[in-house]
Amino acid sequence: MLEGLVLAAFTSPIEIGTTPASMLWMFPLLAAISFVYKATKMRVLFFKRYLLESLLLFLSVSGFMIMAIIVLNLVCWLITS
Amino acid sequence: MADSSQQRASFDQSLWLLTVGLAAWMIPGAGHFLVRERKRGIIIFVVITTLFVLGLYVGSIGVVDWVGGRIWFYAQILYSPVVGIIGNMTKNGDFQVFGRPSDIGQIYTGIAGLLNFLCILSAVYMAYCGRGQLIGHEEEEDA
Repeated sequence: MLEGLVLAAFTSPIEIGTTPASMLWMFPLLAAISFVYKATKMRVLFFKRYLLESLLLFLSVSGFMIMAIIVLNLVCWLITS
Repeated sequence: MADSSQQRASFDQSLWLLTVGLAAWMIPGAGHFLVRERKRGIIIFVVITTLFVLGLYVGSIGVVDWVGGRIWFYAQILYSPVVGIIGNMTKNGDFQVFGRPSDIGQIYTGIAGLLNFLCILSAVYMAYCGRGQLIGHEEEEDA
């Protein structure tokens, strides 16, 4: 019964509208990229330092993405207004 | 005589690197596990597998489509040979997916594959440098 439900969850897509809120799906992706990149990059893996560096990378990449979104929106607004 | 032993050592080294690379492709993080970087291996396995499964959950297994989305499939197959089995299940087009869930599912699974490719290279490089054989234990004790 449970197996059937789990398998069924992977055979049909979930509903995601084409709204600005769907952009929030980029954050889990950025977090995964930050954690894996730092796991391969750090020479010795001290856990606290690893978490801190991953978090810093995640925040800086997220900040850059948000800035890019703002700039692109401004450009669109300038062109269309 | 010395030439022969050098050739043998070189062959052993190549076989070791191939084993590490293949293990890292079969199961994400397994390559790092083989070179005794167990913490890295666990982190890589958990993060990349979560990302891949989340992509399949969002867009369904239809996002693995080697007929209609071949370029994405090349990125996805880097996650594991399991993707080939999923691709075989979806090749008849029984799991059609469109719109934003398709985009997000393909991006998540594709990035999971590319991240695993980075990890394969990292594991092979660590094996090439002798990590795990020479200094692995000391590093684990330090950490």
